[in-house]
Amino acid sequence: MNDFDARIERAVRALARRTGRRTFLARIGTLLVGAAALPLLPVARGAAESARVPAPDENIPGAQGDPTSCEYWRHCAIDGFACACCGGSPSACPPGAEKSPVGWIGTCRNPADGKDYIISYNDCCGKNWCGRCGCNRNEGERPDYHWVRNNDINWCVSAKSLVYHCSVAILVGQATEPQPER
Amino acid sequence: MRRARAFAVMCATIVLAAAAADAVPGPAEDYLLHCSGCHQQNGAGVTDLVPPLSGLAPFLATPEGRAYLVRVPGVAQAALDDERLATLLNWVLSEMSGKTPDPAYDAREVNALRADPLRDALAARKAALAH
Repeated sequence: MNDFDARIERAVRALARRTGRRTFLARIGTLLVGAAALPLLPVARGAAESARVPAPDENIPGAQGDPTSCEYWRHCAIDGFACACCGGSPSACPPGAEKSPVGWIGTCRNPADGKDYIISYNDCCGKNWCGRCGCNRNEGERPDYHWVRNNDINWCVSAKSLVYHCSVAILVGQATEPQPER
Repeated sequence: MRRARAFAVMCATIVLAAAAADAVPGPAEDYLLHCSGCHQQNGAGVTDLVPPLSGLAPFLATPEGRAYLVRVPGVAQAALDDERLATLLNWVLSEMSGKTPDPAYDAREVNALRADPLRDALAARKAALAH
């Protein structure tokens, strides 16, 4: 055991003679700064940009790109209070509200790329009426008897609480064609 | 020159036909738009409210059960033509319940079953599973 300790001690002392603490810190510092600066190089930036596909919410000017507006493109068939005006977002309920697991699904056309996207309209439940940004757009919406495409239903029937707070318009994905009712 | 023009027209027609063929959504997309609002994107359903699609295999054990899967209102009334509905049903069964229908549903069978709507879906469900 003593022999082992002695060998380790010799090795550590030899290492200490060869490398000062300052040298070590300087080298580590160079490495860290270099790694941080690498993405600033034009080549690295070019690679990142070419791989990036713009999100469908980007590059939409005015109200159609504003989640707090009823004219927001994803709100093409919303009937209720837009959750983005109630402390949430177009995709998430405000804190303290529960998303209804059941909702209705349709498509909206994105004005930026002219493509159709599948949108899931779900209600957020368990808090009193939000009362802000009350919207009523009905593109592709159908009467109560065609309930899978109806926005008059309180979808909180599928949540723990029946109390309606606001509605989200979640982007599910790109659609090959608009929903058949449009 | 005339031949070259004819060749160009032919190529354009093929490209356009291929583009048109690509424009038809597949069953996974049809599932999202026509089924997932209730059954959820993964087919898990909602406890005590919407049945999970993983439990469909027993329906295929009898002719009544097989017919029920088409005649149930959510399927029969989906805004899809017979061909796409048959494709969607086959896809849901193999992907979510692990049971590929044999024979597979086709447009003709779906058309005939849709023409015979269920008067009492719950009773039909119970009867289909009782055999």
